[in-house]
Amino acid sequence: MLLEVLQGTEAGGFILIQDSVNYCGRHLLKSCINAALKREEVVHVLGFEVSQEELNDGLDKTSAQRLHFHNAYSDPLGWTGNSPFTVHQFTLEDIGTLLKQTPQAKAVTLVIDSLSWILRHHDPAAICQKLQALKKGGVVRAVIGLLHSDLHQRGTVGSICHLATSVITVAPGTRGLGAFAKITRRTKSGKLMQDEEIFSINEDLTVTIQSKRSHPGSTPMNTDESEVDPTANLTFNLRLSDTQREAKEKLPLPFVFRSQHFCTRAPVQDGSFTSLMPMMIMTRRILMTTLMSRGQATSHVEHSSLQLMPLLDIYMPETTIIAWVPA
Amino acid sequence: MFAELNSILNTSPDSFKPGEFILVSDKHTDASFLIHHFLSFYLRAGCKVCFLGLVQSFSHYSAISQRLGVSLTQAREKGQLVFLEGLKESLGVLLQASKGTRTMDFLRDPSSGLRGLYDFVRDNVRGAVGGAEEWGPPVLLVDDLSVVLSLGVSVGAALDFSHYCRATVCSELQGSMVMLVRCEAEEEEESDDEGSERLLRGLIHQCSLTLQVQGLPTGYCRDIHGQVEVCWRGQCDKQQAQKKLFQYKVHDKGASFFARGMSSAVL
Repeated sequence: MLLEVLQGTEAGGFILIQDSVNYCGRHLLKSCINAALKREEVVHVLGFEVSQEELNDGLDKTSAQRLHFHNAYSDPLGWTGNSPFTVHQFTLEDIGTLLKQTPQAKAVTLVIDSLSWILRHHDPAAICQKLQALKKGGVVRAVIGLLHSDLHQRGTVGSICHLATSVITVAPGTRGLGAFAKITRRTKSGKLMQDEEIFSINEDLTVTIQSKRSHPGSTPMNTDESEVDPTANLTFNLRLSDTQREAKEKLPLPFVFRSQHFCTRAPVQDGSFTSLMPMMIMTRRILMTTLMSRGQATSHVEHSSLQLMPLLDIYMPETTIIAWVPA
Repeated sequence: MFAELNSILNTSPDSFKPGEFILVSDKHTDASFLIHHFLSFYLRAGCKVCFLGLVQSFSHYSAISQRLGVSLTQAREKGQLVFLEGLKESLGVLLQASKGTRTMDFLRDPSSGLRGLYDFVRDNVRGAVGGAEEWGPPVLLVDDLSVVLSLGVSVGAALDFSHYCRATVCSELQGSMVMLVRCEAEEEEESDDEGSERLLRGLIHQCSLTLQVQGLPTGYCRDIHGQVEVCWRGQCDKQQAQKKLFQYKVHDKGASFFARGMSSAVL
């Protein structure tokens, strides 16, 4: 639908291009201007935001005589005293005077770059009235305006959108696929059509539609999954074979021993510390062994601890052992 | 002048793009180190620099530029640098000591806008009429523009000022412009229409290159002071905006920039 809107053949149309800081809508505006020039229409541009050189850059040179740029960029507020066009001259009479420069033209397209500039200096309601008068008055055939939607309040943006016959909201596309456009079009019969498309602008300012109806929210998910599988091409094995899984399940956990053996007297009565060995192997570097001597089991413990030391030396050669033997 | 930043931006004092409007913005951190970079960059490139120092004194910039190898006092004497000391002038205006210049008029009457400031810029950027054109294209540096908002000037007036500066400096004289804007951390977005966020958005629409500086989203770090997002706005119809993200650390004599996660402290 974007291409249809850009061709824009109906009279009394008002095409509004809404952009934000993330994506500049001026490229699409230049595409519109180029398309209008190619259709042999006369285009008048009220340039507030960019200079003539910048706007003309890339436009069709052969139809340059049909393009009339009114310089409202160098002095829009009249600070230097000799301004070609100021923002206060945005009235029906003054625009009519401008357009009389080309009296023989039948189809005049008026391009406003940008409406945000004018809205900063005029009351939104007054602007809406003037735009409506321009649309209906027959002075121009079509109006194309650029609006920076993040510079105004929602109500103001909504009012201007309401006046428009077509609204194109542009946003950056995902992953460099081009830009995303949401188009709302209102026909004369009152029918409302909406569409979402991904487009890109070529060097000669023609628009190419890349795909239709792709919501920017849904595409990142799909592309992420198809991109990289981090578990592929590794030098180590992340999975377990069946035997490995069995061995892993058979391995006793430290908490198991803790509940069975580490109640107060059990290790000593058991007569050996060897049952503690598997648990101790799994602990950290510094092993703190507290050998408690109890009255009745002293000799027993001494014997057991003497058994323990060589075992520790074999199983945990790099372990530091701190043994506390109360006298 | 930070060599790494030059390579990121693909510029050097010998060759840089004319007519650029560079916007430096920060949030939760201090991006004024970038202003020092651009000041020393353009002085080294031999451009005529007009500096609107609205928040610090001349000696502050002079001391830091000394460490970066550029002497501001000498540049001012030679006529290469025109420095507006906002703090000193404002004292004069507020105490009604001198009725001379209209530059800081917005302090007495904020609703009149920044036209006086623009007249100052326009007069000083065009260069000496009779003298030899020894200097390169003019450069305007503003540090920082968001301070006028807290002095009562409206966002619209600040945007008009930057528009006029851009029309004169960038488009007409093919010079460059660097502006610093500081954002306050605002909780509600819709209610505050006149805040620095709106000024920032308006300026981003006007500029050709933005450097958005933020603190790290994960918090304070001793070795990484923050991140910079460099965004080239597609001026011509060719390319879309191109964005790059870097992290930085500010040293005594400069700043180093590196890709995310590549800080020397981490590697």
